[in-house]
Amino acid sequence: MKKVKRFFRHDNAGLLFVLPAVIYMLVFVGYPILSNIFLSFQNVTVNNLVRGEKKFIGLGNYKVLFKDAVFIKSLTNTVFFTVSCLVIQFIIGFALALFFNKKFTFSKPVRGILMIPWMMPMTVTALIFKFMFQSKVGILNYILMNLGLISENIDWLTKPHTAMFAVIATNIWIGIPFNMILISTGLTSIPEELYESAAIDGAGSFKKFTKITLPLMRSTIESILVLGFIYTFKVYDLVYVMTSGGPVNSTHLLSTYSYKLSFDNFEYSLGSSVANVLLVILLLVGILYLKITMKGEEKNEQ
Amino acid sequence: MNSEKMKIPQNILFNILSIIVAFLLLFPVFWMLITSFKTEVEIFRIPPTFYPHVLNLKSYAAQVETGDFNMFKSFGNSFVISTGAMLIAVLLAVPASYAIAKYRFAGRKAVLLGFLVSQMLPVSVLLTPMFIMFKHFHVYNTWFSAILADATIGIPFSVLILKNYFAAIPKALEEAAYIDGCNRFGAFMRVLVPVAKPGVVVCAIFSFLYAWGDLAYGMTFIINQQKRPITAGIFNFMGQYGTKWSYLSAFAIVTIIPVAIIFIFMQKYIIAGMTNGAVKG
Repeated sequence: MKKVKRFFRHDNAGLLFVLPAVIYMLVFVGYPILSNIFLSFQNVTVNNLVRGEKKFIGLGNYKVLFKDAVFIKSLTNTVFFTVSCLVIQFIIGFALALFFNKKFTFSKPVRGILMIPWMMPMTVTALIFKFMFQSKVGILNYILMNLGLISENIDWLTKPHTAMFAVIATNIWIGIPFNMILISTGLTSIPEELYESAAIDGAGSFKKFTKITLPLMRSTIESILVLGFIYTFKVYDLVYVMTSGGPVNSTHLLSTYSYKLSFDNFEYSLGSSVANVLLVILLLVGILYLKITMKGEEKNEQ
Repeated sequence: MNSEKMKIPQNILFNILSIIVAFLLLFPVFWMLITSFKTEVEIFRIPPTFYPHVLNLKSYAAQVETGDFNMFKSFGNSFVISTGAMLIAVLLAVPASYAIAKYRFAGRKAVLLGFLVSQMLPVSVLLTPMFIMFKHFHVYNTWFSAILADATIGIPFSVLILKNYFAAIPKALEEAAYIDGCNRFGAFMRVLVPVAKPGVVVCAIFSFLYAWGDLAYGMTFIINQQKRPITAGIFNFMGQYGTKWSYLSAFAIVTIIPVAIIFIFMQKYIIAGMTNGAVKG
């Protein structure tokens, strides 16, 4: 007993404070991750979910998946979706951040209001955009028609390519504020004097941007892109509500396909296997994120 | 990038531009708001009307009346679930983040890494095992299943945010509390937590919002329509009455109301959370 007491006396007293959260996360996150890995090596379906024999089938599920055209499609879709969103929301976010970093009366309040898309429940965002992308009632077709950009209504969500475009556009709308606010914060950390002395040396705005802003923003940009990747790669609700992966599986992402296999087809083990593929890719990119943040942690502690 | 104030004409130009930008970006939300006050007939009118010519409040009224269009119950469910998840997240994250900030205990790095990794996890990985677990322990199809699951999003976020707030509190403040006769727990409760209060508010807001926006957990673990959160209610309604846009838009607006209220009163906390925090759900 004394030994136990002594162990918790100094720095290890921290363990008593941290343990409740750690135990909670081990039960509700740690255990499920392990369990998901086991599931993917078994053949659990609706028939033997709660009771019954769960046969160990090794890599059987993964072999099935890599021969499954819908799985391959979901994988390439997820990559395409993520990269398109990342690039476009970053460019728009950067432009807006530069704009709102000018000091005018409304800069702060308007920038604040623009956070709204990021805070809204994704289900609602998906619903709003689904409405705007409708063929007949949708406002988008009406606007495009009046601008003379299209001559007849487009059935956005029922054609494969346009459906993919629609979900990407919607996700970009959510991602813009996130990019804008983080880039904004990064911009304000660049010392003013650098720009002033560059101006004395006769540098124009373009030169200032490429020679001062971009190089000094490097670590901010890195972390925004990595975070954006992680966040976009696992998007689920948005696509599930807008298209449920359709038409003809053309907008399935790994997350939505995994859900469909598990909870529409009741092929729990196959669904878990898809989720594990998603997880492995996220973790590979996550290592980058961890490198960046842990470096930051160490700097904080010095 | 200019530190001195702009000249007046330039200031006016930028203000006008910023309002145009805000209008374009937020147009989808305005459009939903306008649509929610239109009649079903007017919604389908071509060319579309840009304000409701006939004011229709039926879509809102129906939400509190009995029948298929009642969303009031779901709204309440969401409120209970989000509050529960928020309480768990804050109660567990406050002490944990304090320990990570102030103690060099054994395994500290591993714990920190664990929270960072758990922030990156996709729901897909947790859904099936949680589903099986909740069935075993008979919390399936109750509010608790969604509360327990939603808290796993709030906890890592809160720990990572709050740790910075605790780390910024000078050691002298804590030591003064010890001299005054506080033990570790007393110093934590009476001195550190009050000082870190803005951080706690950020965590509470975000934990609530994460749970409020959740669809996957609420929809998968709760199948009883009477207990489901509003997001699942909306999704369900879309499947049944896909073209009833007047009701759908009203549901959307009602679901955004708590978010808007939080936003109006706590904007500075939200910006703080976004810039300090890492990934969203």
